[in-house]
Amino acid sequence: MPTASPVAAARRSTELGLVVMAAVITAAAYTLASMGKNAQIPQRIVVFLVALLAILVLAHLANRVLAKGSDGTLLPIAALLNGVGYVMIARLSDRLAGLQTTWTFVAVAAYVGTLLVVQRASDLARYKWSFLLIGAFLLLLPLVPGIGASTGGAKIWVSIGPISFQPGEFAKIALALFFAGYLAEKRELIAASTWRIGPIRLPEPKYLLPILLAWGFAVVVMVAEKDLGSSLMFFTLFVVVMWIATERGSYLILGLLMFSGAAYVAWRIFDHVQLRVNVWLDPWTRYQANGGKGYQPVQAWFALANGGTSGTGLGLGSPNKIPAAQNDFIFAAIGEELGLIGATAVLIGFILIIGAGLRVAIRAERTFDKLLAVGLTTILGVQAFIIIAGVIRVLPLTGVTLPFISYGGSSLVANYVLLALLIRISDGTARRLGETPDELTLGERWRAWRLRRADKRAIRRGDPTTASPLVGR
Amino acid sequence: MNKQIRRLALGLLVCYVILFVQLNIIQVGREQALMADVRNNRLTTRDFNRPRGPIVTADGTIIAQSVPSPGGAYKYQRVYPTNDLFANVTGYYTFGYGSTQLEKTQDAVLMGDTDAQKLKAISGLFRGENTGSVVLTLRHDVQQLAAQQIGDREGSAVVLDPKTGAVLAMVNNPRFNPNDIAGVPTKKAGEVLTLLNLNPSKPLLDRTYQERYMPGSAFKVITTATALSEGVTSLERSWPSEKAWTPPQTTKPVGNYGGSSCGGTMAEVFYRSCNIPFAQMAIELGPGRMVNGTKAWGIGEKVPIDLPAPAASYFGDAANFTQNLPLLAIGGFGQGDDTMVPMQMAMVAATVANGGVMMKPYVIAASLAHDGSVLTQTTPEAWKTPISAEVATTLTTLMIGVVNQGTGRQMQLANGVQAAAKTGTAQLFSDGPEKSNAWIIGFAPADSPRYAVAVMLKGGVNDEISAGTGGKLAGPIAKVLLDHLLATETPAAPPASAP
Repeated sequence: MPTASPVAAARRSTELGLVVMAAVITAAAYTLASMGKNAQIPQRIVVFLVALLAILVLAHLANRVLAKGSDGTLLPIAALLNGVGYVMIARLSDRLAGLQTTWTFVAVAAYVGTLLVVQRASDLARYKWSFLLIGAFLLLLPLVPGIGASTGGAKIWVSIGPISFQPGEFAKIALALFFAGYLAEKRELIAASTWRIGPIRLPEPKYLLPILLAWGFAVVVMVAEKDLGSSLMFFTLFVVVMWIATERGSYLILGLLMFSGAAYVAWRIFDHVQLRVNVWLDPWTRYQANGGKGYQPVQAWFALANGGTSGTGLGLGSPNKIPAAQNDFIFAAIGEELGLIGATAVLIGFILIIGAGLRVAIRAERTFDKLLAVGLTTILGVQAFIIIAGVIRVLPLTGVTLPFISYGGSSLVANYVLLALLIRISDGTARRLGETPDELTLGERWRAWRLRRADKRAIRRGDPTTASPLVGR
Repeated sequence: MNKQIRRLALGLLVCYVILFVQLNIIQVGREQALMADVRNNRLTTRDFNRPRGPIVTADGTIIAQSVPSPGGAYKYQRVYPTNDLFANVTGYYTFGYGSTQLEKTQDAVLMGDTDAQKLKAISGLFRGENTGSVVLTLRHDVQQLAAQQIGDREGSAVVLDPKTGAVLAMVNNPRFNPNDIAGVPTKKAGEVLTLLNLNPSKPLLDRTYQERYMPGSAFKVITTATALSEGVTSLERSWPSEKAWTPPQTTKPVGNYGGSSCGGTMAEVFYRSCNIPFAQMAIELGPGRMVNGTKAWGIGEKVPIDLPAPAASYFGDAANFTQNLPLLAIGGFGQGDDTMVPMQMAMVAATVANGGVMMKPYVIAASLAHDGSVLTQTTPEAWKTPISAEVATTLTTLMIGVVNQGTGRQMQLANGVQAAAKTGTAQLFSDGPEKSNAWIIGFAPADSPRYAVAVMLKGGVNDEISAGTGGKLAGPIAKVLLDHLLATETPAAPPASAP
């Protein structure tokens, strides 16, 4: 059996080292938060540390077995962000901490499961139309009467029996898969732009149609579900992947114009959009008036100011004063207790994960892999940017979760699946570059075993003509 | 495509740099402004989750302290073990309504936030608490006795160490209980404060130094001191016994209490508290010298005490008196526009006791760090020297006469200790029934004064207001206080000194 090259082996040992560091930092922060809040070392700290190490090492071992050559930094950064988020959620609410623990286990299971199921990223390109349908279905699901639920004005939840989830979190991955698959196939045709209307050169309408369809979805999401953040995210995803695929900057400009147009119209027509913008521009006078829409952003600023440069210390601030601090506003809670230094560390964490994701894209050789890696990284980077920008009032606030950090099962599971796909692409590239032996995947071995068994049976029956030509004797 | 991906990386990096810049603007640039916003109570929350040091009297009674509050909204609860007794000095420390008095001015020391304390905290990083404490000059026993003596009546009492200016007691009635404000939810505290604010007796004010009252004859000490200093009068001077005297610029005569006829030597008119001789002295001094005389005592200036928002006593201005000599005349015996802060009157007695040197009053003896080391210690400071030692001696003689033969016989102390005093009965002309402020100021022992006192009972309705009203009502309180102070002295170390 061929062994992994030193490069791939080094990646795995780096990953192990970094994962252990992420676990130690998380456990230390957890202890500090407990001491700050209750003046005692958490009773089950040893259990906590062991469980944390176990789950992270499990994810690492999955990489060792299932993705030997993959990038060694993605998992530790995600684990650290997840850990910081967990500490903050545990510090805000004991009840939510218990739930988030469960979700973390589920998310890591989903991560390993994705690596198991998706053994070669390129296989996914075949299912692009299925992913479009799945994505559209998930996006529209909250609009179905009876199961759709709305919180805070946005209709992004689905409740079926006791289970509630945000289908949009999964829709974003499905749509990224569709865009990558579709554009990898049609990029040249679209880039050729043979359709002329006066001086403007456009791609043939039939190639443009799916893209307009996607834009249409973004508008529908914005209008019907009042979910500005997700629509901005989908739209950015689609424009960026178009741009990268066609290598034509005009799509960037066109996309920007289309979104600006839609946003302007939405602002003119819809009260809730106007309110969002007005609160963004001036939350101070809307602190208590108007149902107190400015209360949350103002409290977030107070929290950040309270943190100052070095923070109040974990467990020593008052992040509970920010309504729903565990969800969209968790960044303000981190900024309060860990200060500018801690908040900047989180920003750097996202910059590193974006950098690692785009490195995966650059190294990838297949167009589909490249576009998928770009799409997934863009989702992650833009989603984090949109919500942090909303919390600190760089942009109007739009409710999306902060990947890996915010409380919530859908978000955590979806982002770990996204991470697994990036890992899978990265591993595929390493195989193609010969950094790690391109062994048969588990699925391929399974198929090969079945073929071999069929062969043997055929030979035993004395009918060698039906034997597969694939399998050597 | 890689070119575009690199550009995308750059674009996203720029987005995150914008976030970083905005974070800097909020967390560094606007930190102070945001923390100062009245809607931001995080600083208060932070403070309420930290321990806060105690305020302690000179005799070691804790009058304000933080106790752990396991079930409460915050980790600590501020309590005032003596309830209302020292409320005027400690003030209150609340979540929703800020803090007042020493709780406000000594906040940094109590929280351990002074630079010196922070420095100590750095050197002992993991040694826990860093709170400071504030030790007062006030004595719990004296304060309590004064409160008991005033009882249900409305009034104030001040006891000073004349040599240092250290305040040994400062009491008002009515008072408020800071536990009713600091120990209840914010909404309830608001209701309590509203009621206290509506009370016409102003219980939230420390009226010993934040309010002024017409002094009546007690003011004659200042008139006499000015007249003695300017050579307008002496112990040898005497006045005919008169019922009335008409000052210039008017036809309305000035009389004595109850319209009696009153006169005699300087000592006699002082201890009998005749009005006419002092009106005449004020007129003889004239507006300029009389006003300058009062200014020498600090009248017109805020009481220089180490507590917030002191009031200033008032006599009047020379230009106005020139136009209105009758006002100057009645001002000479403490009527008219005269208003005096009780603390200032105690300082007047203390100045006579201290050979003419007026000390700055103070309540904070020292502030201590958590380990007991001294952060600050108050050094007694002279404020003014309104009179010479000779004039002080002469005034002492006159004030001894008040106790021995005059309106202040209630001030004859136990064990034959000689006290010196001056009474005052200010007639308040209001729409309702005739009222008076009853005053006494004094000190003891007369030959080596260690305690000066001022007692004022406000606006009582008296059946018959006489020159002796001040002595009758306020005198017994002053006597009890001085007797107690002298009885509790230890010869080696007088308890008046700061620990």
